[in-house]
Amino acid sequence: MYRYDEFDAAFVRERTAQFANQVERRLIGEISEDQFRPLRLMNGLYLQLHAYMLRVAVPYGTLNSKQMHKLAHIARVYDRGYGHFTTRQNIQYNWPKLKDIPLILGELASVEMHAIQTSGNCIRNVTTDQFAGAAQDEIIDPRPVGEILRQWSSLHPEFSYLPRKFKIALTGAPNDRAAIRFHDIGLQAVTNGTGEIGWEVWVGGGLGRTPMIGKMMNSFVPNEHLLAYLESIMRVYNRYGRRDNKYKARIKILVHEEGLETIKGQVEAEFAEVRGGVLTLPQAELDRITAYFAPPEFKQLAARKIDIEREKILDPLYARWLENNLNPHMQPGYTSLTISLKPIDKAPGDATADQMDVIADLAARYSFDELRVTHEQNLVLPHVAISDLRAVYDALVAAELAEGNTGLITDIICCPGMDFCALATARSIPIAQAISVKFQKPERQAEIGDLKIKISGCINACGHHHVGHIGILGVEKKGGELYQITLGGDATEHASVGKIIGPGFEAEQVPDAIETLVDTYLAKRESAEESFISAYRRLGEAPFKEALYGNA
Amino acid sequence: MEILVGNELTSGAAVYLDAHDNWVEDFYAARLFAKEEAELRDAAIASSKATGRILGIEIEAVTVKDGERVADRMREKIRAKGPTTKSIFDGEVFDRQHLNEDGHVSI
Repeated sequence: MYRYDEFDAAFVRERTAQFANQVERRLIGEISEDQFRPLRLMNGLYLQLHAYMLRVAVPYGTLNSKQMHKLAHIARVYDRGYGHFTTRQNIQYNWPKLKDIPLILGELASVEMHAIQTSGNCIRNVTTDQFAGAAQDEIIDPRPVGEILRQWSSLHPEFSYLPRKFKIALTGAPNDRAAIRFHDIGLQAVTNGTGEIGWEVWVGGGLGRTPMIGKMMNSFVPNEHLLAYLESIMRVYNRYGRRDNKYKARIKILVHEEGLETIKGQVEAEFAEVRGGVLTLPQAELDRITAYFAPPEFKQLAARKIDIEREKILDPLYARWLENNLNPHMQPGYTSLTISLKPIDKAPGDATADQMDVIADLAARYSFDELRVTHEQNLVLPHVAISDLRAVYDALVAAELAEGNTGLITDIICCPGMDFCALATARSIPIAQAISVKFQKPERQAEIGDLKIKISGCINACGHHHVGHIGILGVEKKGGELYQITLGGDATEHASVGKIIGPGFEAEQVPDAIETLVDTYLAKRESAEESFISAYRRLGEAPFKEALYGNA
Repeated sequence: MEILVGNELTSGAAVYLDAHDNWVEDFYAARLFAKEEAELRDAAIASSKATGRILGIEIEAVTVKDGERVADRMREKIRAKGPTTKSIFDGEVFDRQHLNEDGHVSI
């Protein structure tokens, strides 16, 4: 993985020292909260309902074991012994004290991490496929370009005060696991007619109060011109994006209101000006960065099929874990392994410091020191020899991390909601916990199969409810909470935005409502192979609506 | 009736202005402002802001029934008691954030 050069190290060190000084001045009253607020937000520090929250960037979701140990150490020493992995592939600490923030940032800098640009109207942490550099279906490892984008966007002088925040995601595989069509810019690796690999550029996707699927602006931008093309998009957005209304300030609104062709024309005009200039990416530089992401020294192993049916007899829980938590690896004899952070009745995405240490040790021993954070709030050991799976599983069992539910109904994405977030209008974690309890039986989950539930505690949609096969949005109504259910969302290459099915439900009614929807699906599906989302697309909303609300 | 709620600077803890002009953790100790006390309430807000130690001061509605006060908004009920979610450690709900030793603010 990427290692800081002298510039990176000095940049983070200086920024940490700068913010430490700002914190000190705030604590002794030299600067006011109005002055301090934008400074702390630039460094990932929010003030939430009960306490400060520090959001730490995990660039393109990649960590090594030393960094994970450091995250555990920070959780243990400066917080309450746990951290929360987010849908932006970041980690958040919910209980830090202001005076400790400079110390935490210093600790992070010591392992080449920081919290810069995890907030504010700037280009946020670039996200990607959690199986990047490992996935069998990958055209190219997207992380070198992700790193180049990180360097390009970090404190970019033109783009530090954009009309609104800006999110970029990229994937090197045709199967989109990074939700690129729901980002301000999504990049999809593609091959052109001559075999050259470049990028499809999707623009104007997003969730929040106005969910939109990104539109393809360019079907092939070669690596050489990618930065110039992205800079052109950013300039057009920075110039024309609305600053008078924060709810209409994202690029999706600009593209929607002006039309793709208009914006594209402006981007192309800008691109014509900057193309071939200083933003040209030399192949030598791409090669230099790519070298940091060279595949590990895999053993030459024979391809090995895992006999899950045999394991189902010997150890059903292990078999379940094998069946659900592995992803095909490009290297024979290896697999990528998802560590579920969705145990039944616990908060999705949370991991204790001790668990983080266990995971870091497993990465060091079994996964060439590599770890990934997924936007679905799980962790991944990307390169595990199939022969090591049992040992890894046993260690995960001991750490209470062996839930074999990846992709199933209990693998729920969920924002912190009103239990923590100052913006939220309803709780979301207790809803996720109640649903996971309702569907906790492994046989029941297996019967249902792939089903993505995503829960947000407000319209800002951090829990991605618009793209849940079943989405749940908590809203405030008459001082209480009400939950709207959407059906049919999909964050993949088959992108779709879920549709509200009908009137909302009280919190305690939600698990039963979900069960009604699930039972309807099970009754109506053509076969066990037809997934919930496929059945919904075939059937439409009518049978689900009728099941929930009757014929009235 | 109304109360004043904010977050203390150093800890971020939720705090309430009490009847003795101290910002305290206890929701039930919060001073109740009647509608006709808007001037007093606003003066307290101004004084509190002047300390630079209380952030995001909000006026919140509470209802007093049978001597028991309850925040009107769910958000404030949660802020008063701490998160309702079960902790990753023991399944108990999280304790709220507490003030540091140097976190006491008066106006």
